[in-house]
Amino acid sequence: MQNINLHNYQDFLLRYIDEELNLREIEALLAFVTLHPAIGEELESLQSTKLDIESIACPNKALLYKNIFPVIVEPTTIVYPNKQKLFKKEREKAPVVFLKWWAVVAAAVFIFIVARYGMFSGEAGKDLSKNNVTTNSIATNSIAKNNVAKPSSSIVNNVTKNNAIENAGLLASTNVLENQKMSTYTVGRGGASDIVTQRNIPTASIVTASETASAIPSYNGSIIDVKPTVIAEITTAPFALNETTEPKETSAINETIDTEAASSNRSVMVGAFEIDKDKFRGLFRKANALFKNKENNRNEK
Amino acid sequence: MTEKDYNESVLLYADNVYRFIVKNLRHTEDAEDIVQSAFEKLWIHKDSVEPQKAKSYLFTVAYHLLIDHTRKAKRITLQESFENDTQTAYQENKALKKVLHDALATLNETQRSLVLLKDYEGYSYEEIGEITKLTTDQVRVYLHRARLKLRNYLISPQQVL
Repeated sequence: MQNINLHNYQDFLLRYIDEELNLREIEALLAFVTLHPAIGEELESLQSTKLDIESIACPNKALLYKNIFPVIVEPTTIVYPNKQKLFKKEREKAPVVFLKWWAVVAAAVFIFIVARYGMFSGEAGKDLSKNNVTTNSIATNSIAKNNVAKPSSSIVNNVTKNNAIENAGLLASTNVLENQKMSTYTVGRGGASDIVTQRNIPTASIVTASETASAIPSYNGSIIDVKPTVIAEITTAPFALNETTEPKETSAINETIDTEAASSNRSVMVGAFEIDKDKFRGLFRKANALFKNKENNRNEK
Repeated sequence: MTEKDYNESVLLYADNVYRFIVKNLRHTEDAEDIVQSAFEKLWIHKDSVEPQKAKSYLFTVAYHLLIDHTRKAKRITLQESFENDTQTAYQENKALKKVLHDALATLNETQRSLVLLKDYEGYSYEEIGEITKLTTDQVRVYLHRARLKLRNYLISPQQVL
């Protein structure tokens, strides 16, 4: 630190005004000033040259900001470029065409033909499946009955017949008995046994032949409801059967079954109504008879 | 510096730069032009200027713009009298301040700038030297001469009377 004296005090005074002195220099200068009052007056005159801080505002400060205060706010017209895509055109409604009488007739004929064709084509499949279900169930019963009641001499015929019935029923059985599986069905009596293909049901239960045989004669001709729980496996071994009396009964049962199976084909579905074919035939016969009578009357005249 | 820093510099330093320029020139419109030029230069070079040095950068640019402006005015010799320009002249209210600013007008540009930077902005000798491209000793000597000149002007017999 440089000592203050009468030769260098002015430099200290100017640095004091410029606030460039440290604390020690300031203390030394103030002490020197108190010792020399004339230097104190000089200090005051130099302090008067110091400018007071003025608050002068920049008049156009807003112009200096970037992107915050836009200088010129131009009127912007925002135009959506794809405006044409937004336009919608309402679809024209289909005009109502008033059909003439011949067009109405043609449409009615067409609908009648289509309905009739569809009715008969659907009717055939329905009848077929219905008959097959019936015959299949009856065949099962007949097999059981025949195998139980018939001796070994007649078992071949019965099996053949039953197989035929069963083959006829295979077409529709797929629709009715979906859970059935083909399995071997053993028909045994004593030591002899024949293998007959028969439907096996997983939840098969054992039914005695006497129950099956007693059930068939009581069949009254109505449609048999065949369910998957129909007995598939029949055990006949423990029975002691009378061979002489059973063949007649068996054939009668088979005929009954055949007539019942045939009777299921008698109905015809006309729309939602089921009409018996025999009634149709009767009507046609009566009509023919009336026509024939009229012709005969004309001929006689 | 970012755009945000720049705008913050405008908020903080625009008045200071303007005061520095208008006290030197005593002409508001010219001062505004210089301030705007200084900030425009800062905006152009904002990527190379650090935010904490924005103030000294602005004063440096403004000082050199001031020097250029003064030299150009002298060369053209069409400089209007500050006193005659009633619309743009900086109005002094107090007599003492008016005398002091008259005394400032007697200084040259460098001395006046040094006084203004020292008194208004509180820059040190070193900082003033960076702005004005002078050494610290030059700043100190020039500034002391300016003070003495101002004092002599203030204590002159004309001002006392």
